[in-house]
Amino acid sequence: MLHARIDGRATATIAHPSLKGQKIVICTPIDEFGATNGSPFAAVDPIGAGQHSKVIITTDGSWTQNTVHDDTSPIRNQVIGIID
Amino acid sequence: MKPGRVIGTVTLSQAAPQFRGARWLVVSPMTQDELTGKNPGMSQASTPVVYDNMGAGTGDEILYVEGAEATQPFPNPIPLDAINVAILDHYSYVTP
Repeated sequence: MLHARIDGRATATIAHPSLKGQKIVICTPIDEFGATNGSPFAAVDPIGAGQHSKVIITTDGSWTQNTVHDDTSPIRNQVIGIID
Repeated sequence: MKPGRVIGTVTLSQAAPQFRGARWLVVSPMTQDELTGKNPGMSQASTPVVYDNMGAGTGDEILYVEGAEATQPFPNPIPLDAINVAILDHYSYVTP
């Protein structure tokens, strides 16, 4: 599980079929004080978190295969919660 | 998934049989400075070689996955560690 802030979005026409219809966000990992703590990464966002919201991300590929309904999906990162 | 910029390709003369016909990309991972446009070139991060079946070329911005999940699209075991999953049309990145 990663603690991150959503800082951007990405669109791709040519992508793995499991990404079709998925929102892709670019997240910055943050520490407990909200400061940047590593290099940005991308994740699928099925819950629709807003720009600059703090979220938790799972890096469990098998869970993401489940939510995109595709056992052949290589995608790992997924937004699973928005922090109050 | 990590954002990266394609800076080259690799061809192999000898390879594991699973990799017949494979394309390989040399990718420069994009950190904050590259995503915000402050640095239009390469990052200081080391450059992974990434399997590609979507036809990305030098200069393209992609998302790649590292780790065991990279083998998930293949029906048979394959010694693979990083795969290109998206060629980006557009992205935005703004820190608060």
